[in-house]
Amino acid sequence: MKDILTKAVDYGRSIGAEYIEVRTQKLFKTLLTTKDGTVEGAKEGTEIGGGIRALADGAWGFVSIGKLEPKQLTEAVTEAVRLAKAAGLRVKKPVKLANVKAVEDRVVAAPRKNPQNVSMEEKIKSTLTMDKTVFGYDKRIRSCTINYLDVTGTNIFVNSDGTCIEQDKLYLWSRILASARQNSIYASAREEVGSTSGYEVFDTETPEKIGTMVAKRVVEQLKAKTPKGGSFPAVIGPNVVGVFIHEALGHLAEADLTLSGSALFDKLGKQIASDLVTVYDDGTVDGAFGSFKYDDEGVRTHKTPLIERGTLTGLMNDRETAHKLNMTPTGNARAEDFRSEPIIRMRNTYLATGDSSFEELIEGIDFGYYLKSFRGGQANLDGTFQVGIQEAYEIVKGRVGEPVRSASISGNTLETLHMVEAVGRDFELWPGRCGKGQTAFICDGGPHIRVGEVTIGGGA
Amino acid sequence: MQELIDYGKKAVNVALRRGAEEAEAYLSMSTGTSIEIERGQIVRSTKSMDQGLGVRAVYGKAVGFAYTNTLTDKSIEEAAGRAFKAARASKPDKNWHKLPNQGSYYETTGTYDKKVVALSSDELVETAAAMLETTTAYDKRVLAVGGGVGASVFHTAVVNSGGVEGIDRGTAVGCSMETIARNGADVTPACFEVDAKRVYDIDAEAVGVEAAKQAVSSLGAKKVESGVFPVIFAQPAFRSLLYYTLINAVKADYVQRERSAFKDKIGEKVASEIVTVWDDGLLDGGLSTSKFDGEGVPCQKTVVIEKGVLKNFLYDNYTANKAKVASTGNASRSGLASYASTPVLEASNFTFKGGDRTAEELVAEVDEGLLVYGVQGAHSSNPESGDFSVVATPVWKIEGGEVAYAVRGAMVTGVAFDVLQNISALGSNVKKLGQLVAPWIRVEDVKAV
Repeated sequence: MKDILTKAVDYGRSIGAEYIEVRTQKLFKTLLTTKDGTVEGAKEGTEIGGGIRALADGAWGFVSIGKLEPKQLTEAVTEAVRLAKAAGLRVKKPVKLANVKAVEDRVVAAPRKNPQNVSMEEKIKSTLTMDKTVFGYDKRIRSCTINYLDVTGTNIFVNSDGTCIEQDKLYLWSRILASARQNSIYASAREEVGSTSGYEVFDTETPEKIGTMVAKRVVEQLKAKTPKGGSFPAVIGPNVVGVFIHEALGHLAEADLTLSGSALFDKLGKQIASDLVTVYDDGTVDGAFGSFKYDDEGVRTHKTPLIERGTLTGLMNDRETAHKLNMTPTGNARAEDFRSEPIIRMRNTYLATGDSSFEELIEGIDFGYYLKSFRGGQANLDGTFQVGIQEAYEIVKGRVGEPVRSASISGNTLETLHMVEAVGRDFELWPGRCGKGQTAFICDGGPHIRVGEVTIGGGA
Repeated sequence: MQELIDYGKKAVNVALRRGAEEAEAYLSMSTGTSIEIERGQIVRSTKSMDQGLGVRAVYGKAVGFAYTNTLTDKSIEEAAGRAFKAARASKPDKNWHKLPNQGSYYETTGTYDKKVVALSSDELVETAAAMLETTTAYDKRVLAVGGGVGASVFHTAVVNSGGVEGIDRGTAVGCSMETIARNGADVTPACFEVDAKRVYDIDAEAVGVEAAKQAVSSLGAKKVESGVFPVIFAQPAFRSLLYYTLINAVKADYVQRERSAFKDKIGEKVASEIVTVWDDGLLDGGLSTSKFDGEGVPCQKTVVIEKGVLKNFLYDNYTANKAKVASTGNASRSGLASYASTPVLEASNFTFKGGDRTAEELVAEVDEGLLVYGVQGAHSSNPESGDFSVVATPVWKIEGGEVAYAVRGAMVTGVAFDVLQNISALGSNVKKLGQLVAPWIRVEDVKAV
């Protein structure tokens, strides 16, 4: 296969590509959905395909195909170069790429339990155990939907710089959604599990543990009150810190969005946060959902500092933005699959730990909110962010008080980062999926933190 | 494209031969071309070709599914075999009745255009360049952050052991532009305009102008005091709010699983009496129009709310059998590759009947309020209760019947079902946006923080 791809790349160079890469994929997926204890479908799929990206006349051409015979590859290379040249007619500032050293490597996945060797029956049994745990927790629980996915396979990446990488892929993911009802009060809660290690993740994240966590969360909402709207001090838990760091800061530090005029444009080297704030985007965390060895441009992954003690010191770069900004590619170029082009995506993004205990964070607050678990979040280029909160509590006179439902927080990234008053010494990393036209598997997290003021909405 | 039917029949026959009691094959084949704009210039042109087959096999009321993106005799046989094996490994579903039978299909209109099929990437580059030019020429403070022009052609087919045999084709073409404006340290949020059609009738230059205009008028944003206001929602904002709340509440699976606030509310008033809503899978030129749904059931028009009264829910084959009614043809195959998905209950062209007011009249009748173009964070809404709490962006303050100035960081909160009851006026400016077909909608008593 590698020889065929190398020939295709050489052919691309011979017809005028300044740079060309071929990325092939052979994936096997198992998917399951259960609804209220019923298996909706036990599903399997195979996907084989390739994506060819060529740079010619200063512009990109990209072609994706579902057949990998030499004839189709040659046609696709020809088309990719032709498309690049067509777009190149209009280019004012030609695309150029930062240099990276050519690599030859074979990356082998070594799970303790390969999901391919776990039977469909076993996967169904485990999913239904989680469902039973949820319904068994409280009779006010009305529905439970569980999705399960595992992906195994191999990618091959060959480019015209001489890089040739064969890399195994392994992902495990599960999501649980539960709803409860009491009279006219409807509540819902969710949680996700994600890993790149192996099926052994379910030995620690057991169906009983996850099921109980979600069931408890949804039932608590039934007796929860809605929040007061307005600005309040808040203690934010690792799960919400993670999504805040990901949405409100991380996206703005993706160099393609920074260059597009995000709130971090022109801020490199400047103080943008309280000096308690240090943030990394890290592709090297062992087994984490956002980890991998090489990205989809063949660049080795990094632990990339974004903020160090309050100063913006880094951005996430692919080869194109790295050249433009005179920086180094950070291994953040990811493609959802062979149908998509690599774009700058986060990996595992987190706030580094500080030295406060949870009690120290909370004790000085007369009235505020403890924001423990999120339901969705989104940010705009200008740094306006919104994070929905599925689990929150009042803080009254330095203690965690009654539960609060349907809250959400919003604000401006830079203003909020300046208001971080204390950072905890605990740490959690949570798996998730990020959408930026394509879906990427990621993690985010950090310790508990205290923020001087955040806008709380919700509670109509 | 008869080959799609032939492949489908083969898959169904293999599954039945292996022992399946029922079997179904769904196939799709698509080609798409797009031209992409990034940071003020055209930098990329892409082409994708995708095809594949998904097989459902039923054995002892248990459903198995397998898909492949390789269409050869061997891979089809394998997929059918694996679907049957998956059904054997699965558990029976006591509510499984059977796959649909053949119905008669209506011909759709405005869904296939030979001009789209013949479009070359060079022509698309010209269109993208014209759009970009109108954006950048509008005002030099505007940056075209991203956008593009794209066209696609697709064929779908469904075959099952109950006699269903359908084949359909379609085209789609669209353009979009995302902008920001920068004036010294004043930077606007991202603004967005799109025009998507099934036939080659997009106005790229109008999209370019509108995206630029939005960005420029978002400059100089001010904070507003918290309060309760009339709010006019433009289509992108309304669509985001509905997608996670109302649209789910009328899906039969949400109703049957007690996840819908509309359970037991058929015949009751759930919206303002000026609100009439229907789902129309056959809408002329509709972005979600097709002859049949994702399991071969004929698409149809279903009245959901009539003059404020809840009339019907939306059904796929499974939920319809469970409720002993007929499917409304709302089974959808979603995702990047439709053949890789089992049917999911989804609205098609979810339509709010337009009213009699122009956009200007809607604004002119508001003394103090907000005009909300888009919202951020709607996916964090509570799907069951309808509680939402979102950031409006871009958004403008209305004062004395006129759009006065842009607003920064306004949070709009409420309950989606109360929003329906509080609709006070509908515009005549009906537009198709994704699965929503609706005008601008004015809602009274919305809380902004």
